[in-house]
Amino acid sequence: MAVIDQTSKFGKVFWPLLAWTVALIFFFPIFWLVFTSFKTDADAVKPEFLFKFTPTLENYTNMTENYDYWRFAINSVITSTFATLFALFVGVPAAYAMAFNPSRHTKDILVWMLSTKMLPAAAVLYPMTFLTKNYLGIFDTHFLIIVVLSLINLPIVIWMLFTYFKEIPKEIIEAGKMDGVSTWGEIKDILIPLAWGGVASTALLCFIFCWNEAYWTVRLTTTDAATLSKLIEGNRAPEGLFFGRLSAVSAAAVGPIVVLGWFCQKQLVRGLTFGAVK
Amino acid sequence: MSKRTIPRLLQTPAVILLLLWMLVPLSMTLYFSFIRYVLNSLRKPEWTKPAFSNWRGFGNYEYVLNAKDFWFAIQNSLFIVGSILVLTVILGLALAMLVNRSFPGRGIVRVLLISPFFVMPAVNAVLWINMILDPVLGLNGIAVEGLNSMVAGLKDFPVLGAFFSLWPEFEPISFRATQTSAYAVIMMVTWQWTPFAVLIFMTSLQSEDESQKEAAILDGAGAWSRFRNLTVPHLARPIAIVVMIQSIFHLSLYAEIEIVSRGNGNKNLPYLIGEFTSNNIGAASAAGIFAVILANIVAIFLLRMVGKSLMD
Repeated sequence: MAVIDQTSKFGKVFWPLLAWTVALIFFFPIFWLVFTSFKTDADAVKPEFLFKFTPTLENYTNMTENYDYWRFAINSVITSTFATLFALFVGVPAAYAMAFNPSRHTKDILVWMLSTKMLPAAAVLYPMTFLTKNYLGIFDTHFLIIVVLSLINLPIVIWMLFTYFKEIPKEIIEAGKMDGVSTWGEIKDILIPLAWGGVASTALLCFIFCWNEAYWTVRLTTTDAATLSKLIEGNRAPEGLFFGRLSAVSAAAVGPIVVLGWFCQKQLVRGLTFGAVK
Repeated sequence: MSKRTIPRLLQTPAVILLLLWMLVPLSMTLYFSFIRYVLNSLRKPEWTKPAFSNWRGFGNYEYVLNAKDFWFAIQNSLFIVGSILVLTVILGLALAMLVNRSFPGRGIVRVLLISPFFVMPAVNAVLWINMILDPVLGLNGIAVEGLNSMVAGLKDFPVLGAFFSLWPEFEPISFRATQTSAYAVIMMVTWQWTPFAVLIFMTSLQSEDESQKEAAILDGAGAWSRFRNLTVPHLARPIAIVVMIQSIFHLSLYAEIEIVSRGNGNKNLPYLIGEFTSNNIGAASAAGIFAVILANIVAIFLLRMVGKSLMD
């Protein structure tokens, strides 16, 4: 590439500048959310205080009184963490078997798993409510949300792990077999250390998807297991009076996840295109 | 124990769980879609319990097909999904090309660009509809007001004033109104998903054959012709994948619709199903089956593509 560089002098300044401008525009709403969260509710809606105001932390210190933030946040942490762990617990062995002992049906099974992800949630809304409320009695429990979140993400987890595992040379696993290592030993001592990066980024991505889920967490909870999605959804129309405090609670809900996302942006491609884009 | 037993056992929990997750609720939906089933009925209390004796055949399907909201919801679903697809693919291509060259601070630009994708949909909608698009208190209103006062100031100038005094007072658009709330949804989802398209296209651009490009430059091919004849064919597959994955996600868009307008005049299919679910379960289930069919049409193409790339 060094041989031919066609970019003109003008282009050398213009394109990077344009890239920066567009990136800042895209980031602006997030910046604005955080920026507004440091204004009082009164300042936040006055145009004359658009940039001139005294920053305050009161929106953050009052999150508990205003919104009971921590109760929802803890629910989000609990459900997302355990859903991720459960998805890995079921997904790692399955992906391992498919990557290292594929059968004729492996491809079909993988494609079928993916197809379960495409079932529109709204189509099964009532049966889910009906079953969990009337028969199982687990409506609005952490258990239910953990199971649902892990099942909707299980296909993606298995797919991502499968693509990572496939990159590990088969010979290493076979050498382990020759030495008489058990299947569990293979997974624990050979596979996990080798695929550690892949498993970690799969977990991270699964956690992010669980955290952001906004259909089941809203429709299958009322209070006990309600997550941050439910909290924000419930405060959708503050009629302008509470921009400051709503910004603070929203920023607190998305901030950690956006930062986590920065670390797994490369793996995101693999996770979302099921290895079809390289 | 044969050589195949252990691998099979390892897959079994995942397969069984997904099978239950898919089959149990879906078969219930299918069953409910063929019976009369409502949550409240004073006149016909027997309809409030699901039972075979309330068999209605295709009656619920007929009812749904004749509901005027249904066709509107389908139309609106397709309009929203279609607009988002066109916008994200065009913006995504342009931005991916832009970020694909090296320049100072490229890493930071990438991080800034990708961020919207990780914002939870509920926050995305609340943020956009209140703080950005609100015609009075949001940036939309503030910007239009600023523009108006600027024009008013300019009216006092000599010569130019005459020109500006012809300008009307600008009115900010309200995005909560029936006609415009779909645009608000399109805007916020495009903001969130363009980064996804950029990321996929960028990954794909990096695997583009550079030597082929250099040869084209030596042959005197211009930038546009290189883009048209080399880059676009290379990107055909990622574009198809971006389109299909997004279709599946956006066909079940819910939180944004709910938050922007509570579906008022801006229903899509999932929202309509949610409305039916508050009483008429039979109709909700029939509409649900239609949603499954719609999603499957897209899914079949996606699964074919993914399946092809699977084993190589």
